[in-house]
Amino acid sequence: MKNINVTSAIIYTGISLLAAGLFLLATSAGTYTIVERVGGAAWVFFLSTIILMPIIIPLVKRKLGG
Amino acid sequence: MASTMTQGRKKITLQIAGMTCASCVAHNEEALKELPGVEKVVVNLATGKASVEYDPGRVTLADMRKAVSDIGYEVVLDTARFKITGMTCASCVANNEKAIGELLGVGKVTVNLATETAQVEYAPDITSLAEIRKAVKEIGYGVEDVVGGQEGLDKEREARQKDIRFQLINLIISGTLGTLVMIGMLQPYWFFPNFVPAWLNNKVVLFFLTTPIVFGPGRQFFVKSWGGLKHGVTDMNLLYATGIGAAYFIAVINTFFPDAGFGGKEVTFYEAAALLTAFIILGRYLEAVTRGRTSEAIRRLMKLQPKRARVVRDGQETEIPAEEVQIDDILTVRPGEAIPVDGIVTEGYSSVDQSMITGESIPVEKKAGDEVIGATMNKTGAFKFRATRVGKDTALSQIIRLVEEAQTTKAPIQKIADKVAGRFILGVHALALMAFLFWFFIGFNLWFTPQSHLILTPYQLTAIGAFGFAFIISVTVLVISCPCAVGLATPSAIMAGSGKGAEYGILFKGADAIEATSKLQVVIFDKTGTLTKGEPSVTDVIAKSGDEKEVLRLAAVAEKNSEHPLGEAIVRGARQRGLEPEDADSFNAIPGHGVEAQLKGRNILLGNRKLMAERKVPLDNLLQEAERLEQAGKTAMFVAADGKAAGIVAVADTLKETSALAVEELHRMGLEVAMITGDNRRTAEAIASQVGIDRVLAEVLPENKAEEVKKLQQEGKTVAMVGDGINDAPALAQADVGIAIGSGTDIAKETGQVILMKDDLLDVVAGMQVARATIRKVKENLFWAFGYNTLAIPLGFGLLYPFFQQVVSPELAALLMATSSLSVTLNTLRMRGYVPPVRRRAPPGAALHAAPAASTAST
Repeated sequence: MKNINVTSAIIYTGISLLAAGLFLLATSAGTYTIVERVGGAAWVFFLSTIILMPIIIPLVKRKLGG
Repeated sequence: MASTMTQGRKKITLQIAGMTCASCVAHNEEALKELPGVEKVVVNLATGKASVEYDPGRVTLADMRKAVSDIGYEVVLDTARFKITGMTCASCVANNEKAIGELLGVGKVTVNLATETAQVEYAPDITSLAEIRKAVKEIGYGVEDVVGGQEGLDKEREARQKDIRFQLINLIISGTLGTLVMIGMLQPYWFFPNFVPAWLNNKVVLFFLTTPIVFGPGRQFFVKSWGGLKHGVTDMNLLYATGIGAAYFIAVINTFFPDAGFGGKEVTFYEAAALLTAFIILGRYLEAVTRGRTSEAIRRLMKLQPKRARVVRDGQETEIPAEEVQIDDILTVRPGEAIPVDGIVTEGYSSVDQSMITGESIPVEKKAGDEVIGATMNKTGAFKFRATRVGKDTALSQIIRLVEEAQTTKAPIQKIADKVAGRFILGVHALALMAFLFWFFIGFNLWFTPQSHLILTPYQLTAIGAFGFAFIISVTVLVISCPCAVGLATPSAIMAGSGKGAEYGILFKGADAIEATSKLQVVIFDKTGTLTKGEPSVTDVIAKSGDEKEVLRLAAVAEKNSEHPLGEAIVRGARQRGLEPEDADSFNAIPGHGVEAQLKGRNILLGNRKLMAERKVPLDNLLQEAERLEQAGKTAMFVAADGKAAGIVAVADTLKETSALAVEELHRMGLEVAMITGDNRRTAEAIASQVGIDRVLAEVLPENKAEEVKKLQQEGKTVAMVGDGINDAPALAQADVGIAIGSGTDIAKETGQVILMKDDLLDVVAGMQVARATIRKVKENLFWAFGYNTLAIPLGFGLLYPFFQQVVSPELAALLMATSSLSVTLNTLRMRGYVPPVRRRAPPGAALHAAPAASTAST
């Protein structure tokens, strides 16, 4: 069970961080303030995590036979 | 059943019921082997067990169970029912069903939001009940035992009152503080500066007013959503927590770090966080108050249960608690008292009001030998009766159990709604992310103006930046899209509908029965005992010349000692007309012809044409009369005295008083009506024409009735079969909806998805009207629930912003969302006053008009 949680957390956090990173990258093209960039990236990370958690956890559970 | 692990594969032992021979073994092995993921199957006939090695990633217990049941056998599973607390929406239902359903030994799981119960079919050797309960707890919900009867009702009421009290306290806190926050935020606008002190608009003061709301009443949303999220499940609480948390976070940042670029001190949104919490809690509170009302029918039934009984033991009358009455106890009932248990009258005479159980409005007379139903009301006389069913076996207990079970089940329409709602939360978060990205990168630059307003608020979003603007819209989308109304739409209506049916003595065995009944196209009535009374009676008496009474008297004298059903009908008919037949001096039955009797020197003949021809009795114009009667499906018997024809007595099975009206009402509802009988076609058609039946299925042997139902189904029609729940069981089982009529008190034994307590065909009509009204209510509720989301989501997404420069605020979104839940619950509550149209025209049990019919043979 612990293995499943850790594996899942690594996957969804990784993808969410990637999404937040892409957001930051996209903002570099515009004239956004640092707060807008960081705040936006945090919100993207947060929503991505929420979206991914219920998808990733059962998938990992199934894969690892939990 | 047992399960073991072998290198990634699993081995399971299934108990299979219904195997009788070696070919059963082969069939089961073949069916299981065909499933992808099943590696090895060994079925043992002697033990009735199948050992299966399989890959759990590719095949589930439910798949195996289905494969076995598809070929006519059954995997034996245990059924457990327990209460799940803490569910608030359709996604909670989906989460619990998923968590339980994923367990290895679970075959089927149904979770009902309205009754807060789960019904699980499982293999206890593979997955224990404790593991099932643990799975529910792990995703953040509570588990309690289901307690039946009055105790269960009290417990349920206690829990609901606790919930109402909890939400009320939260509402008072969040409402009071929220109003202060709102006034504080509005202080600089309109007329507020005149009477609101400026310090109330201080952002630090607002921070101290809002923080207790977010971490007090709002805490429940954070705790519950985190509980689910860490196990990979999402529910409505997550939407609320995200919305409230985000609004509060921005407000705090803008209060203490106004230059951080989130819009500054003027864009704090404390009122959004505060009122969002207050409105969500208002919705929860109203839902808790109104949800309890949909289960009123059960509560009313439970209240009927008498508390005390007067029992005669050792010649002494003693008052004892009703639950202590034992079978074969003799009980006494006085006028005005409720009958404590089911039984048979042994002494005395009275009339009993059975309306509370059967829906029959007219009191029923009871004499020695008659059955009485527990919880019904004795009206006029006193009597004694012997208890035949007590405790959980009484008719009332069976009804309550059946209604409770029906309310736990799920209609097919609900399964779809739950599935959609279950996926919705993720969809909403994805939509919120899309909204944020769109308004951050595109929308803000294209359309934003500093004059922008939040709808129904006075202040402008002048100082807000791309992040703040996109963030408000994103949070609004989260809150406004909440599909909480969807979860309640179907189960609340099903609860109201099944309770309404019970009020009229119509019991639906499950939500699927209600849905199937609402879709019926053809209704087949069994003839004998269903459309007709099931026993012959005298319909016509014709005298050749002279007195009709004398004709009937002679016939009754001849038949007085007969045991033939037609003879008994004649004697009964004579007595009903005030004639007491004398004893014949001699009596002689002539097989296939009739009877001959002697009375005070007179020779009486009663029989068919053959008998009259043999005895050379001239019939003259009576022959024509007999033919007319026979064409109407009646049995005509000639009466002769001393070699001269006296007249005709016609006997037939008669239609029930309400048969013709029921058929007429079904036609009015657009249904095709058929009759099934073993009678010859001429007789069957004669009866059918009297009630307006569309299709006659005549000369059908009892064992072939199910086959006839199947033929109609093969024409693509949805068919109901109305008949005796025991004799017509195969046909009832074959039909899409089997309706068992006149079940009386032993409901549990009945076949069929719909059980009618009393012997009144108008209840078939009423049952269909209740089912249609219920499903109509379900559809209305789903329309309101999904309709709200369809309209609200684009609004929340900021679709109107480019045209009007106005954005829906998160608190307005919360108010709209609460209104949608409330509209669904209130719409369901309208069912409480529903009276089936057929019962509006005709009170339950009232004899509307007599419609005599006839028959010669019985089915």
